[in-house]
Amino acid sequence: MRTSARKLVALGAVLPLGLALVACSGGSDGGSGGGGGGGGGAEGDNTLTVWAWDPAFNIYALEEAEKVYQQENPDFTLDIQEVPWEDVQTRLTTLAQSQQTGELPDIFLMQNNAFQKNVLNYPDLFSDLEGSDVDFSEFPESVVAYSTVDDVHYGVPFDNGTAVTALRTDVLEQAGYTVDDFTDITWDEFITLGEDVLAKTGQPLLSGQAGSADLPVMMLQSAGASLFDEEGNPTIVDNEALTAAIDTYQRLVESGVLVEVNTWDEYINTLVNSTVAATVNGVWILGSIQSAEDQAGKWAITNVPSLDGVDGATNYTANGGSSWAISSNADVELAQDFLATTFAGSSEFYDTILPGAGALANWIPASESDVYSEPQEFFGGDAIYSKVVGYAEEVPSNNTGAYYYEGRDAVSVAITNIMNGTDPEAALAEAQSTVEFAMGG
Amino acid sequence: MARPTATARRPVPEDAPVTGTVAAPLPPRPKLSRLERRKSLTGWAFLLPASLLILWLSFWPMIQAAILSLQTGRGTRLSFAEPLWSNYQRLLEDETFRLTLQNTFIYLVIQVPLMLIMALVLANLLNNPNLRFKSMWRTAIFLPSAVGLVSYALVFRTMFANDGLVNDLLVGVGILDSPVNWLGQTGTARFVLVLGLLWRWTGYNMIFYLAALQTIDRSTIEAAKIDGASSAKAFWYVTVPQLKPMILLTAIMSTNGTLQLFDESYALTAGGPANTSMTISHYLYQVSFRNSPNFGYASAISYVILIIVAALAVVQLKVGDKRD
Amino acid sequence: MQKVPGYVFLAFAAVASVFPLYFMVVSATNTSNEVLASKLLPGTHLLENFQTLVGAQPLGTALWYSAIIAVGTTVLALAVTSIAGYGFEVFHTKAKDRFMALLLLAIMIPFAATMIPLFRMFADLGLVNSWIAVVLPAISTPFLVLLFRQASRSFPHEVIEAARIDGLKELQIFLRIYLPTMRPTFAAAAVITFMTAWNNFLWPKVVLVNNDVQTLPMLLTNIQAGYVTDYGMLMLAVLIASLPAMVVFLALQKSFAEGITGAIK
Repeated sequence: MRTSARKLVALGAVLPLGLALVACSGGSDGGSGGGGGGGGGAEGDNTLTVWAWDPAFNIYALEEAEKVYQQENPDFTLDIQEVPWEDVQTRLTTLAQSQQTGELPDIFLMQNNAFQKNVLNYPDLFSDLEGSDVDFSEFPESVVAYSTVDDVHYGVPFDNGTAVTALRTDVLEQAGYTVDDFTDITWDEFITLGEDVLAKTGQPLLSGQAGSADLPVMMLQSAGASLFDEEGNPTIVDNEALTAAIDTYQRLVESGVLVEVNTWDEYINTLVNSTVAATVNGVWILGSIQSAEDQAGKWAITNVPSLDGVDGATNYTANGGSSWAISSNADVELAQDFLATTFAGSSEFYDTILPGAGALANWIPASESDVYSEPQEFFGGDAIYSKVVGYAEEVPSNNTGAYYYEGRDAVSVAITNIMNGTDPEAALAEAQSTVEFAMGG
Repeated sequence: MARPTATARRPVPEDAPVTGTVAAPLPPRPKLSRLERRKSLTGWAFLLPASLLILWLSFWPMIQAAILSLQTGRGTRLSFAEPLWSNYQRLLEDETFRLTLQNTFIYLVIQVPLMLIMALVLANLLNNPNLRFKSMWRTAIFLPSAVGLVSYALVFRTMFANDGLVNDLLVGVGILDSPVNWLGQTGTARFVLVLGLLWRWTGYNMIFYLAALQTIDRSTIEAAKIDGASSAKAFWYVTVPQLKPMILLTAIMSTNGTLQLFDESYALTAGGPANTSMTISHYLYQVSFRNSPNFGYASAISYVILIIVAALAVVQLKVGDKRD
Repeated sequence: MQKVPGYVFLAFAAVASVFPLYFMVVSATNTSNEVLASKLLPGTHLLENFQTLVGAQPLGTALWYSAIIAVGTTVLALAVTSIAGYGFEVFHTKAKDRFMALLLLAIMIPFAATMIPLFRMFADLGLVNSWIAVVLPAISTPFLVLLFRQASRSFPHEVIEAARIDGLKELQIFLRIYLPTMRPTFAAAAVITFMTAWNNFLWPKVVLVNNDVQTLPMLLTNIQAGYVTDYGMLMLAVLIASLPAMVVFLALQKSFAEGITGAIK
C-alpha cells in the first residue's frame, strides 16, 4: 500500500512537468494550423476544413462534393468535422467573443434562420462571397435572402427547406379523396377536409410539437409576411398574416385535425406509426417518412394550403434549411472555388446526392436533370423532386434579422398561452414587448 | 455546465458549525514561534498548487465576468454601460428573468427538502444492521448518479411521452382514464423535472447520510428505544440531530446545484411550455448562445445567481447554528 | 422496527431507480421504431445497433479521449487537492481559514458566465483542442480541498509530531505517513471526480474545436443532430457512455462510503 501511494505521488510530481511539455508541443501544434486547418499556414495545401452536422445528409453531401471537386483537383481533400448545429453556434460565439478566429474552419454550415444574427453580430467570422464564381441568380431569391446582409452575399444555400404537404393516399382514399383535393387549397378548405377525414377514418391529418412556432411561422411566410420589418423592427402586433396564422392553428387544434405532441421524437413517431395521415413541413421531412418502409407507395406530396383572406397569400413556404459560409480564417480562394464548382455548379453532384441521401438542391439548374424527374416509387411514382424545386422558386422571402430567435420564441410562448385561453391580442402584445425588451439595453 | 455535481455544489466554509461541531477540538494555538512560522509557510506551500489553479481558472474569469456585467452591447461591440449598473437595473424589468427565477425557486423549495428527506429515510433504513441485501439496495439507488445528462433526459423524455411508458402503465392499471400530457402542461412538466432530479440525486445524497450514520453511536438510539421511544421518534429525536452537520452540508450543496440547474431544463423539458419550466441558468444560456448574444447582460444574470446562492448559504448556516 | 414498510419503501426506491436504466439497456437491443413505441422486452438488434454505431461514430477514439480526460482529471485532482486539504488542516491558521472561505466562492458562479474568459485564456496559451484544456479547470475544485481538509481532522496530530521528532521533512510526513492511511478518502474523491469528468458536457464541446479530440457526451449529441435519429443506436451509445462511471462506482463503493465517513468524523 505504501508503494502504491508513493507511485501515486511520484506520478503527481511528474505529471505537471509532463503537462508543461505537452503544453508546449500543443501550443506549436495549434500555431501550425492544427486548429482551424484553414488558417494562413495551411493556405495552398489544398485542404479545406468544414464543420457540418448529420452524417446521413450534410456530411454525405460533402463527401460527394469532395469527389466531384477532386476530378479537376486530384490533390484536394476535405477535412470534415461532425459538429451538431447547436455546438457550431456555441463554438462560433465563443471564438468570436474571445477573438480567436484563427481556430475557425474554412467552411461551416449554418442554419438559415441564424445567418443574419451571426453576420450582424460577428462580421469577423465571415468572408463574403463577392467576387466568387457563384451565380446567386441560380438560387431561389427567398433562400439567398437568408444569407444576404446589406446586399452582400455570405452564404451558398444548400439544404432545401421548401415546405410540402405529405399525405397518406391510402387514408385519403378511405375518406373518398385524392391528392388533387389537397392541392392549391386554403387552410379553411384543409380544415373542412380534415374534419371529414377524421370523421370517416378516425385519423387526424396533422401532428405538431406543442409550443413550437414551426407551423404558424410557415403560414406567415407563405403570405410573404415576417415577424420583423425590413429595418428589423418587430411586427408581431397588428400583423394580419400572423393573426390569421395563429387563428388557423388554433382552429386546427380545436377541430382535432391537428394533434399536439411534446417532443420531436413523438412527432416523428406519429408519422412512422400511422397515427396521422399527413404532415406539413420542410421537404427534408421526407427522409423520416421514408424510414417507414412498410408505407412505400402510400405517400404523395403537394403544395401547402394558403391563408384565407390575407393579402399576398400563396401555397408556398419554407421551414429550416441551411447554407455554407466561408470563414474569415479560410483559404478564401479555394473555398470559393470549391463551393462554386460543386454546390453552386455541378449537376453531377446533385444527381448523386439526391438518390443517395434524398438531399434536394436549392440550385435551380440541378432540377433540369433526369434524376430530378425520375418517378419515386415511395411516393406513388410521382416525380416529386422536380416538383419541389418548382415550389422553391415560388416561396416568398422572409425577414429574419439579428433577433429572429427572440421573435420566434416569443411567438411560441404566445401561441402556448393562446391555446390555454389567453386573448390572442393580449398574448401577441406581450410577445411584441418581450422582443422589444430583448432588443433594448 | 451548471449540473449539480459534487464539485459544483457548495460545501461549507470553515467557520461553519458543520465542521465546528463534528471536528475533534483542535489544540489551542499559542502565538506563533519562529518554528511555527516556518511551519505555517510550509503550510502555505502545500496549498499553493490548488490555490493557484482556483485563483487562475475560477477567480480570474469571475472577475472578468464581473467587468463584463457592467458592459452593454451585442456580440463583440461592448462598451461600459451608462449608468454602470444598468444591466442589473434591466433585470428588474425582465419578465422572463422573473419567470425563470420563480421556476428555479419552485424547484428549490419542493425538490431539495423532498430529496433530502427521502435520502435520509433511505439511509436510515440501509443503516439497519439486520437489513438483508444491503449492498444491492445501496447500489441500485445510487446507480442513477452515474448516468450522464444526455442519457437520462432522453430516457425520461421517452418515458413521459404522450404515448409513452408512464401513460401506458397508468392507464393500463386504471389509475388514469386518459393519457396525461406530461411535458405539455406547466404543472406536470415541472413535476417531471423534479422527478428527474429526485431520481438522479437522491442516491447521491443518501450515500453521504449513510456515511454520516456510520459515525453515530448506535447505543444512543438503542437507549432511546429502551426509554420507550418508537423507531420513528428515535430517528427524529436522536438520529437526525446527530446528522445535522451533514444535513446542512447536503442542503447547501443541493441549493447551489438547484440554483445553477441547467441540464434538466435544457434537455428534459426544453424550458416549456411557454418557458414555465425554464431555470435561470437555462435563460442565461439562451441570452448568451441562442439569442442575439448579450454577454454583459448574461454576466449580470450570473452574478445574481452567485449572490442568491451565497445569501442562502449564509441563511442556512445561521439557521443551522440556532438550533444548536 | 417497522420491517415491512421499510422493505416496501426500499424496494420502491430501488425499482424506481433501476427501471429507467433497465429501459435504457433493453432499448439498446431494439430498433429505432421499437424504442419510440416504448418496447419493454429485449430485442435482437444489439449487434446491428453496435455495427451502425461503430460505422457512424468514432466510438473507439471517443472512449479513449474520455478515458484520458477522466483519468487524468482524477489523478491530478487527487494529487493537488489532497495536499492542499492536508495543508489547510495540519498547518491550520486563521488566515488560512479565511482563505478557504474565499476559495469556496469559486463554486457559486454559473459556468456559462466564466466560459468565454476561460476560453480566451486557453486560446492565448495555444491549448485549444488539447485535452489539457479540458482537464485543467476540473483539477482543483474547492469541494475536494474541503473534503480532504475535513478528512484530515481525523488524522492524529500526535503521529505528525512524532514523525517530526524523528526528523522527517513535512513533505515526507505527508507522503509516507498521511497518504497511506487516507485511502478511503481518496476513493471517495476519485468516484466524485471521475463521474463529473466523465459526464462533463459543455466545456469540452466548446474548447475542443477540432474533432480529432472528441468525448463520449459529444458523440451522443452528434447522433441526435440529424434529421433522422436511430434511437436503438442512440440508446446503445447512451449505455456505453454510462457504463464506465457505474463501473468505477461499483469498484470503489465500499471505500467511497468509508471515505466520506472519514471526512465528517
